Amino acid sequence: MNFYEHTLVAKQDLSTTELDKIHDKYSDIINKSAGEVIKIEKWGLINFAKKIKSYNKGFYIHYKFKGNSKTLGEIKKNISIDGSILRYLTIKYKKLDLEKEYFNKENKIDEKKR
Amino acid sequence: MKRKGKKFNKRPQNPLNKLSLFQKSDSRFSKKCPLSIKDAPVVDYKNIKLLKKYISDTDKLLPSRITSVSQGKQKKLANEIKKAKILGLL
Repeated sequence: MNFYEHTLVAKQDLSTTELDKIHDKYSDIINKSAGEVIKIEKWGLINFAKKIKSYNKGFYIHYKFKGNSKTLGEIKKNISIDGSILRYLTIKYKKLDLEKEYFNKENKIDEKKR
Repeated sequence: MKRKGKKFNKRPQNPLNKLSLFQKSDSRFSKKCPLSIKDAPVVDYKNIKLLKKYISDTDKLLPSRITSVSQGKQKKLANEIKKAKILGLL
């Protein structure tokens, strides 16, 4: 079993109920296919540095989970069919740090003040 | 003819120039790597504030002779920046 981090970028024009569906869908997929979700972070709407498929913003969802190659294949399969996801990234880690959250809401307020 | 009170004007340096952030004006700068000291910030693709420091105006990685980052950390920076670019964060 290895530790992984997985981030999804969903389209900007989705409603909150649709976002929750995506949020639950992928956590279910991980749990069912020999994996275990440890933590989920919602980063919210973030501006892109450049346009991606004529979208300027996107919703970010971040998963931290235990799993093996089966879970990764299962996630890839589902994303390739899913039309509402723009980009994704999975990275393998030996250790996960669960304390730091770079996209917390408190940090966002500080940026606005500047 | 005598020139009175006229001094040669130096060209005003742009304070927002990225290179001047790292290089002191007196031509000598510290040689220690700022990312391998004690309690140094973690180089990670989520830590965008840190990565933006080491990127030029055209989104390229700054050379280590200017930023004095060690060889190992420079490689790590390059990899993390690429990851952030995939997600559209940089």
